[in-house]
Amino acid sequence: MSERLHPQDVMKALASVKAAGEMKDIVSLGWVKDVEVEEGAVTVTLALPNSSDPASAVVADSVRREVARLNAGEVRVRLVARHGASSGASSNLIPQVKNTVAVASGKGGVGKSTVAVNLAVALRRAGARVGLMDTDVYGPSVPALIGSRSAPTVVDGKLEPSVEHGIKLISIAYFLPQDEAVIWRGPMLHKTIRQFLEDVRWGELDYLVMDLPPGTGDIQLSLSQTIPLTGAVIVSTPQDVALGVASKAIAMFQKLGVPILGVVENMSGYVCPHCGAREDIFGHGGARAAAARMHFPFLGEIPLAIDIRKQSDRGQPVAEDESTPYGKAFRDVAVELTKQVELARRSASQEIAIE
Amino acid sequence: MNGSTGILRPTRIKLDAGNDSLAITWSDGHSSVYAYSTLRSQCPCATCLGTEGERAAPAAPASLPMFKTALRPVRVEVVGRYALQIFWNDGHSTGIYTFTYLRNLCPCAECAPA
Repeated sequence: MSERLHPQDVMKALASVKAAGEMKDIVSLGWVKDVEVEEGAVTVTLALPNSSDPASAVVADSVRREVARLNAGEVRVRLVARHGASSGASSNLIPQVKNTVAVASGKGGVGKSTVAVNLAVALRRAGARVGLMDTDVYGPSVPALIGSRSAPTVVDGKLEPSVEHGIKLISIAYFLPQDEAVIWRGPMLHKTIRQFLEDVRWGELDYLVMDLPPGTGDIQLSLSQTIPLTGAVIVSTPQDVALGVASKAIAMFQKLGVPILGVVENMSGYVCPHCGAREDIFGHGGARAAAARMHFPFLGEIPLAIDIRKQSDRGQPVAEDESTPYGKAFRDVAVELTKQVELARRSASQEIAIE
Repeated sequence: MNGSTGILRPTRIKLDAGNDSLAITWSDGHSSVYAYSTLRSQCPCATCLGTEGERAAPAAPASLPMFKTALRPVRVEVVGRYALQIFWNDGHSTGIYTFTYLRNLCPCAECAPA
């Protein structure tokens, strides 16, 4: 062979190599760091998202095979750690989690945790693999609402989440003695959020639902910075005062580039169990109207019902029974949510390529 | 409509784009080229901004010109969905440049204020 191979030709050959689970080839993904052509040898440097992953050995083999076809002599593949990691909808911290949904509100006490728990249950009932992360370190209520009896365990230096109602679960409540309070400043909260994402063995999940504390503080900011959230669900009562504060939460997520997946109206109308008359204690339709005004999807209404409170206190999420009006309401919200998640994924699919 | 936020995002970020600069291609097709010196002097972190609200003054020039390696980013990382974090070769990395901020910094003739 008299003519020396051009690195561009090697790149062309590499463009046919795809990694398992990725839609694009390794060149488009930016995994090829460098190609060196010497006399009788080609060295390809690959920067893989996780170079200790067994899948990277498969990629290296495919690279070797493709480049060997060019008959340029010896083929060497070097694997290096990846710098300047890009992140689209999937994050390096939790690569096996498809969608991350934050359940948020402006005001406290609007039923965020109840909605988060029941949404998680409804999604699981629809056949999805679901995780639930209670990021409310000040008032963690998810384990009680879902009737959690077992705590997470540590296996091989990682936290194995407890499983309740088929949902993988993590909460600060597991790590605190009862009646003990978390009095932390931002950096500690940030560390906890990171640990909940990084050091928990979530495994393959379709949805990781995150119950946020109320407001627009450190936790919300840390979460939005640590992973590219698929989107946020805003919970509000129909009341004007709750809606006013909810719009602040919406404004925060917009600033942080997090899509608003939709608004849920909780405590929407009370039907008297004795006479069947309906009383709109916190008003009705306010959240729907607000969502329409701000051009956000409206995901649905959850009625105010004594059974939701009773069952929640017993740790039995009402979404487990779809024959009740509220069980059905949660299922409808979950169906609407999956549609919006799909739309959000599509519109945010473009990755940022870092060179 | 979907609740996507519609802020401009980079689609491509290129370090060492020539003449000590970083290049960004935006989701609307616009390209921006930033000199490293500009990026560093406009670092939005609290230390560089100065907690008293004034940008910290650059160190006084030494009486003898000392050799200093030029400041350049070692790498950049995307922060969530809204910003870039730049890691400089002198160890500085606290600046989180939001996409909106970066776009407003674009020095091209089209973007520059008239």
